[in-house]
Amino acid sequence: METMEIIFTKECRIRYLLYQTTKALSQNTRAGLILFLIIIAPSLAFAQVTVTGVVKDADGNALSGVSVRLMGSSVATSTDGEGTYSLPSVGPQSTLVFTYVGFETKEEPLNGRTNVNVELSPSDQSLEEVVVTGYSSQRKKDITGSVAVVDMDALKSIPSGSALQALQGQASGVNVISSGAPGAGSNVFIRGISSFGNTNPLVLIDGVESNLDNISANDIASVQVLKDAGAASIYGVRGSNGVIIVTTKKGQSGEPTVAYDAFVGIQLPLSGNPLNLLNSEDFARLTKIANPGTTLFQNGIPDYTYAGPGAAGVANEGDPAVDPSRYVFDPINTAGNYIIQKVNKDGTDWFHEVFKPAPMSSHNLSVSGGTEKATYLLSLGYFDQKGTLIESYLKRYSLKVNTTYNVGKHVRVGQNAYAFYKQNPDFTNQTQFGNMSNIFRMMPIIPVHDIRGNYAGSFGGPQLGSDANPVAVQERTLNDRDNEWNFVGNVFAEADVLTNFTVRTSLGGSVINNYNQAFVFTPYERREGNTNPNRYSERAGYSNNLIWTNTITYKNQFGDHDLNVLAGTEAIKNTARNVSGGSQAFFSTDYEYLILGNGTSNVTNSSSGGKNSLFSLFSRVDYSYQNKYLLGVTIRRDGSSKFGPENRYGVFPSVSLGWRLSDEAFMKNIGWLNDLKLRGSYGILGSQHNVNADNSFDLFGGGYGNAYYDIRGTSNSVVQGFIQTRIGNLRTGWEENIIANGGIDATLFNNSLDLSVEYYKKSINGLLFTQPLPATVGAAEAPVINIGDIQNKGFDFSINYRGNINQAWQYSIGSNITTYKNKVVKIPDPGYFDAGTHNALGSVVRNQQGQEVSSFYGYQVIGLFQSDQEVLDAPDQEAAAPGRFRYEDINDDGVITSEDRTFLGSPNPDFTYGLNLGISYKGFDFAATLFGSQGNEILNTITQYTHFFGSPIGNKSNVLLDAWTPENKDTSVPRIESGASFSTNGVVNSYLMEDGSFLKLRSLLAGYTFDNFRLNSTRSLKLRVYLQASNLFTITKYTGLDPELNGSSSIFGVDYGNYPNNQQSFQLGINLTL
Amino acid sequence: MKYTIIIALALLLGACNKSFLEQRPIGTLDEAVLATPSGVNGLLIGAYSLLDGNGSVQSGNSSIGMNVFASMPSDDSFVGTIPNALLASIEGFTYDPTTTIFDMKWRIQYAAVQRCNDVLRILPKVSGLDEAESTQIEAEARFLRGVYHLNTALLWKNIPFIDETISYGAENYNVSNTEPVWPRIEADFQFAADNLTDTKAEVGRANKWAAKCFLVKAYMFQHKFDEAAPLLDEIIAQGVTSNGLKYDLAPHYFDNFSTATKHGPEAVFTVQMSVRDGANGQNGNTLEASGGPYGSPATTGYGWTQPKFDLVNAYQTDPETGLPLLTNYNDHPVKTDQGISSAEPFTPHEGTLDSRLDWNVGRRGIPFLDWGVHPGQAWIRSQNVGGPFTVIKHIAWKYRKDTDIEQRFTNSPLNLIRFADVLLWAAEVEVERGNLAKAESYVNRVRERAANPDGWVKKYINDNNPDEGFSTIPAANYKVGLYTGQFVENGQDFAREAVRMERRLELALEHHRLFDLQRYDNGTGYMARTLNNALEFHRKIAGFDYSYVADGFFTQGKNEIYPIPLAQIDLSTTEGKPTLIQNPGYK
Repeated sequence: METMEIIFTKECRIRYLLYQTTKALSQNTRAGLILFLIIIAPSLAFAQVTVTGVVKDADGNALSGVSVRLMGSSVATSTDGEGTYSLPSVGPQSTLVFTYVGFETKEEPLNGRTNVNVELSPSDQSLEEVVVTGYSSQRKKDITGSVAVVDMDALKSIPSGSALQALQGQASGVNVISSGAPGAGSNVFIRGISSFGNTNPLVLIDGVESNLDNISANDIASVQVLKDAGAASIYGVRGSNGVIIVTTKKGQSGEPTVAYDAFVGIQLPLSGNPLNLLNSEDFARLTKIANPGTTLFQNGIPDYTYAGPGAAGVANEGDPAVDPSRYVFDPINTAGNYIIQKVNKDGTDWFHEVFKPAPMSSHNLSVSGGTEKATYLLSLGYFDQKGTLIESYLKRYSLKVNTTYNVGKHVRVGQNAYAFYKQNPDFTNQTQFGNMSNIFRMMPIIPVHDIRGNYAGSFGGPQLGSDANPVAVQERTLNDRDNEWNFVGNVFAEADVLTNFTVRTSLGGSVINNYNQAFVFTPYERREGNTNPNRYSERAGYSNNLIWTNTITYKNQFGDHDLNVLAGTEAIKNTARNVSGGSQAFFSTDYEYLILGNGTSNVTNSSSGGKNSLFSLFSRVDYSYQNKYLLGVTIRRDGSSKFGPENRYGVFPSVSLGWRLSDEAFMKNIGWLNDLKLRGSYGILGSQHNVNADNSFDLFGGGYGNAYYDIRGTSNSVVQGFIQTRIGNLRTGWEENIIANGGIDATLFNNSLDLSVEYYKKSINGLLFTQPLPATVGAAEAPVINIGDIQNKGFDFSINYRGNINQAWQYSIGSNITTYKNKVVKIPDPGYFDAGTHNALGSVVRNQQGQEVSSFYGYQVIGLFQSDQEVLDAPDQEAAAPGRFRYEDINDDGVITSEDRTFLGSPNPDFTYGLNLGISYKGFDFAATLFGSQGNEILNTITQYTHFFGSPIGNKSNVLLDAWTPENKDTSVPRIESGASFSTNGVVNSYLMEDGSFLKLRSLLAGYTFDNFRLNSTRSLKLRVYLQASNLFTITKYTGLDPELNGSSSIFGVDYGNYPNNQQSFQLGINLTL
Repeated sequence: MKYTIIIALALLLGACNKSFLEQRPIGTLDEAVLATPSGVNGLLIGAYSLLDGNGSVQSGNSSIGMNVFASMPSDDSFVGTIPNALLASIEGFTYDPTTTIFDMKWRIQYAAVQRCNDVLRILPKVSGLDEAESTQIEAEARFLRGVYHLNTALLWKNIPFIDETISYGAENYNVSNTEPVWPRIEADFQFAADNLTDTKAEVGRANKWAAKCFLVKAYMFQHKFDEAAPLLDEIIAQGVTSNGLKYDLAPHYFDNFSTATKHGPEAVFTVQMSVRDGANGQNGNTLEASGGPYGSPATTGYGWTQPKFDLVNAYQTDPETGLPLLTNYNDHPVKTDQGISSAEPFTPHEGTLDSRLDWNVGRRGIPFLDWGVHPGQAWIRSQNVGGPFTVIKHIAWKYRKDTDIEQRFTNSPLNLIRFADVLLWAAEVEVERGNLAKAESYVNRVRERAANPDGWVKKYINDNNPDEGFSTIPAANYKVGLYTGQFVENGQDFAREAVRMERRLELALEHHRLFDLQRYDNGTGYMARTLNNALEFHRKIAGFDYSYVADGFFTQGKNEIYPIPLAQIDLSTTEGKPTLIQNPGYK
């Protein structure tokens, strides 16, 4: 603080204020503020004036809450109840901008005045908004394709490190599904699942392909989602899954503006007994029913369990077997360990042993400004989230620099750059044997630590199962490091040439570097692998994406005709390379000791690489007549290295039409109708997702594990061998997504209500899909070929209403709903393919003609067999017995066979919906964001484990307290037994199905904006503070942790053990601008 | 400035250079590069490398071993460990054509077949290979193709034969399974037998005699005893291993299963296992690795594949003659520690036993190789459902653990055919041909080794420190005697049962048992009787929970062979009709 005092001798009061604020905030925040003060320092020296005035409407009513902003900065105030305002510290030659919901924005140059009264007229301001679409921008009112414009304020209200996660529920037709793991990627579906592989849309940040996972909403100026062919066809093969166009913030000419946005918060794990698991006493009791010969509970719950070389048993206090003097422990050479564990008679709450409250904080500081000749924006970000799962975290440091320069009158050059460094350990979510599953696989009687404080687990006694202590698994990530450095950006030049032409060239791309270290400790507490030597590996990789885009635009107006023509070329090249190495049996497990050369055995190394390229020509014509009749035509021709010469090029056209009815004479006089437009589009998009760059080649290779053989009989070395690794197909070509879209946009009631309804039909023809081949062709990777058709149809609906109760109270309601109807139209012989493996159930999903994508497939349970007589009378069923499932004889042939499997449901929702509510009262603002999904089903594989003792040893669910017995027949829970069978949990059946519908209150926020602090005669400081709660409730019938389940597109909605994304969090944040 | 940009744009439009869209794959080879002598030999190595049943490139293919298909559903071993509905369905014959492991195994088998065909397809394109070398490569590839098809035929009987003309490019890969496959298999072995050299520079390669032995195996499964007989005589008289040792029994029974003593005179054709070779154990005994004692230092596997009581009881011998009890051996079972914790005292069975028992079955109170005295329950995952026994044959010795174990994998050899197997085929053939005395002499040759105390398991010098070595005291009451004319005396039926029992004792848990029963059955119902008796017997053992196969039942006329995987039948659909036809009894 010493330095600052020297700088700010004139501004003691402000310095004091800031000093106090600084003190109140965390260390990181303080560092940010220091930087912030250094940056604003030079700007405090100008001679400035205070401007005052009154704002009224055309009828002379005072308008309160009108935003009065200094152009080119974020210095702003708002009018009070009498419509008066006062804006200090304004340069005498600057311009004020007046904005108010439902009114035309007015710019008023001061020209030396200090009192400026203005009159605002109502407007259709939202329609005048210019929206960035494919390679160009359009007025929102003239858009004929399907473009969802995301409300940035709502987007920013979700406290997330990822703008993508915040996008959930913010745009009709866009469904984002995330897990709760910090830094985990999300699944994005634009208008439903439209592929068996990658469904993620193309994300362009300032024109460069990137992803939204790692950018903060604070750096974003606008987000548009292009959903139909009319809007996205210009991206041709890149656009099949939809396109998300992100424009980052730019500087504006004017005084430097400094903005600081920050929040600190805490996230809380789910409370209670979220997996509904048994306590020790019930567990012991039920275990004895399932397994009367149990060693563990033969004489009730023992005091101790123990295990050592050739020994494993239970004992009570005083038994010599558990005398602490017998305890032997070595964490590396484990063969001689003798472990004693004190039984946890209450039951270990494994969930809350690994899920703990966790802090998060975010800081974002930006400086922007510029002159007529140049603008700049510099933004620094720091995001730090600890996961509620212990030892999980995301730390990200980011830097954004955007500049533009006007070189002469007609030439503009500029650059956008975004760089970040993040540390984010991998968490393997949604796998059958991931650490989420250890939470319910560990028995409640096992303590977290043994009698000497080392990890306890399945090793330390008889019949304790085979799984890992989840606390140990998380804490043993201490030597793991996951680093990523990512740089995305472009440089561009733009020139106005001849009269109506603009040419533009942009060279951009991304460079991603990874460096990871992973250390696997000897899991001494685990029954399996407890003598495995420790292992260490390092991995590094980079990938480059280079994109060069050139466009020429012609823009002209002749009388009633408005013409806009764009033509361009684009060349894209992707390259990647990875290298890794490993070794094992390290003498020390100290992180500083770990270099690969210190391992003593099993030295391995490997590397891999890939590249592909795309070259495209494209054009777009937008024509309008009298602003009423709108026509858009696009065409793109793509050439891809992923296809063989025969089918290398594809052409993707689209046409869209719009008719602004409200401008027709017969509708002009309808007072409440401000704008009404009909529009429709039809066109083709392509896809080369899911096509390996090597798809057209017959390739040979093979490695140590699959092709080398010890032909010399040495027992410890192999001779190189080769195998065919890939079958090539030269005929594979483009996948075509044919999209028809029709909609109505309306603006009503004095511009207070925006309404949009769209119908869409998306047919994916010649779906790129790995050819299902019989085993007789061999096991080389089968080619992706054009087979299979999928269809999605439905409605997108969005409505936004802005209203005032009175001058002081204003509110807005925004809602969007998307409905889906998904169907697999065609899959080649045999007409289906299975997916979603589970090691006890086999495939859980079947994609079949006529069904929805990713449908669950198995036997329909129609109840439990109640008696031996019922078993005899029923159709023949393998392992049928009282208390077990009775399956439906679908084909009515008197016997239950694989033919009786049926479709049990699908993870595709009937509709998803989002709701944003906003209320403001004077300086206060309140906002709520809700998201819901209706009609999606979940296959809960956790119940396959926790509802049956006939699964590997571990904890079980409280539902078994109501299990079927001859005395308790009125239940749906099968009887308790040690075996698994066809008639219990050995096959996929409808017992595992659950309704996954949910409604989440994603965010509830209350903010207060203070009256402006005057810093000096020319500048003022705007401060808003807010308090926010996330996920206050999730309404669902689902019995698992969270019905929001991510996965891969062909096996979606299967719960294998998911890091929940419905955990409550509370944040305190500030937005500071000057 | 403006014109420069326009020119640049025009140039780029024109510069849609074709080479920009030609991107070559990284890190791979194409067929042209492999059409060299060393390239085609590499493909041959690739064909050998699936002998271990593990390492197909296709994702999602778990490798399932013959232990699952041939030992668990037989009277040799339990699934063991924990209830797993999938494996339980194999043990209890309640599987159906959708049971996933059939598809996995089928895929592995044909992946291997096509590796052999890759060799045969590229071989004609190779230049610089002399005739003799070329013939050796062709014969080895055809030998392997025969082996892979033979194992596939044992599992499913009605299978398509895939030769080198069948490929993706030729679009003829849907091949019928109704054509007789045995003649094609025989032809491959015959070609190999006619062309392969007597010995090989590399011990892992197949030689002439291995091919002849496999030809015999093909005959055996077709009950072509008259064709097999002369070939067997020739093999027994003249056969040599690929490293030039005259065929004979190894001095000690367990020599066949130890890395240190492999490549002996008994090794007709052996899968060469390797660990600590850079493959993270994947060239080791991966398919057996789930078995073995659980929670012991000898293995970190899952404790699967536990020997059945029936098998252990079969090792009882007559206290007078030392001969096996051909029937009713379950009436007075071997004493076990079932239900007795490791902390409680236990004395092992004191009756007379065949010495091979303790090289096949780990049991309480007996030295488990050099790892220590088997402690019973402490090394068993769930004794109440898995029984008190553990498998041994793939376990490595402790004194070699630094070279022979990697994680849970060992490099213990997997014998596809060993000479004892050949001798017992010869005995089987001679019984069927009525030469009972000759059959008895083959059986006695095998029993002589078992009777020799040199090869018995011995007690440790110090039970508390096995590293001090073994004493000379047998670990149990072993008594093995030779037949003294009983074959002739008691007739063909007795001799047949005696040979079958000998095969079971000698080759236990080497995953022949189910197929042997299949061969013996030949439509008689022998297999159904044997296995239903075993199911029934195990359900009645006190203190043993066999409820996971409570519904198990072997259906005659159906369960002798496995169902063709439904996924493959569906995938064989052409013009709406499946090319593959399901085996009888499966729907």
